[in-house]
Amino acid sequence: MEYRLDRNVHSLLDPRTKLLLLFTSSVFVVGNAGEKQMIVFYWILVYLPVFLLFIEKEWKAGFVAIAVYIGSFYAQLALRHDLTALESALALMLYIITKILPTVILARYIVKTTKVSEFLAAMNRLHVTDKLTIPVSVIFRFFPTVVEEAKSINDAMRMRGIEMGAKKATEAVEYRMVPLIASCSIIGEELSAAAMTRGLDVGKKRSCIWNIRFGLFDFIIIALCLSCFIWWGIGRFFI
Amino acid sequence: MENNNRLNAKDLINVGIYTAICAVICCAIAMTGVIPIMMVLLVVFVPIFTGIPYMMFLTKVKKFGMILILNALMGALMWVTGMSYYALIVGTISGLIAEFIYRAGNYKSKKLGVIAYAISGIYCWANYFGIFFNAEAYFSTRQNFGQEYIDAVTGMLPVWMCPVLLVADIVCGLIGGWIGSKVLKKHFEKAGIA
Repeated sequence: MEYRLDRNVHSLLDPRTKLLLLFTSSVFVVGNAGEKQMIVFYWILVYLPVFLLFIEKEWKAGFVAIAVYIGSFYAQLALRHDLTALESALALMLYIITKILPTVILARYIVKTTKVSEFLAAMNRLHVTDKLTIPVSVIFRFFPTVVEEAKSINDAMRMRGIEMGAKKATEAVEYRMVPLIASCSIIGEELSAAAMTRGLDVGKKRSCIWNIRFGLFDFIIIALCLSCFIWWGIGRFFI
Repeated sequence: MENNNRLNAKDLINVGIYTAICAVICCAIAMTGVIPIMMVLLVVFVPIFTGIPYMMFLTKVKKFGMILILNALMGALMWVTGMSYYALIVGTISGLIAEFIYRAGNYKSKKLGVIAYAISGIYCWANYFGIFFNAEAYFSTRQNFGQEYIDAVTGMLPVWMCPVLLVADIVCGLIGGWIGSKVLKKHFEKAGIA
């Protein structure tokens, strides 16, 4: 039997497009650049990540994201005037959720659908130096690990009766921070060993098994991002 | 010899790991910024708590450029998560200065390490630039926090607070670095990880 590797099987978008989209989203959704003038693009950018999740058949995550977003959006519209201190803290939290959630979902989509080797190869094509791309890919690989480790250390410490808000606050912090850093640094050693066996250190140009090129959807998304910036530029400098 | 001075994959992976740890801790602390007074005290808590991972990171630094990359990445993360791009600029510059300070001790001196940490930590202070220099624009997108919150924060942050916060940030950086090196001595050197 012949085994053939399909080199074109990967997610819909190219890593470069995904990064451009993430950047656009963080400028216009989180940073809220342009405000009123950008309103149409704003809503497109808010709902696009969920659409991307649906394309990847992540139905549950997509629906939860939409529900949380719409819920907190209308809740914070309701909490507009004459707030007590507690209500304004709540409104602030909801506001932060509506600002950050679309970009968080997009980031999650990117992390889930991009292979590290694909990301490195795409960045290499853009002539971004290794000195930035390797740390960045490690960071994305490492976020879930740090959170997971922190959770299990927290459980272990609770079992020992060392809780946050106990009498000895310094102890509570120390007993969490130290094991966290120790285990992370050990995982890091393993990660570097793995990278070494993959020849990250050779210094020659690395090849990549996946075909990385722009497709139709990439051009649509890139056009969308560029038109965001152009429309914003027009509003800013000419009107 | 020249080959030994270039950053290899291991160094870069270390940079990535410690950036991730610092970012998670920053994130956890920044969540408390909902309460107005905490918003101001971030400049105190972030340097103190990230001191431990940072001092651990410094024990791994043996080559030029690692501190600079870590700081630039932290600044970039601040920018992406909706603070301001000032953090990226200030973080890069302060990272460069910290790099030179730590290099002066051949990447070994603990004292210079603490100072380097205190200097590099000022990207935290840069996050407030938006409030100081452009308060109206900063809050125009945040109208729905309630006027009370806005008054509370602006009341606590008149322009003269800017240098005060810088000093507070550096002092807390020194404290955090000192705590970090204590913890390092107590736990990691004994275990042989540092």
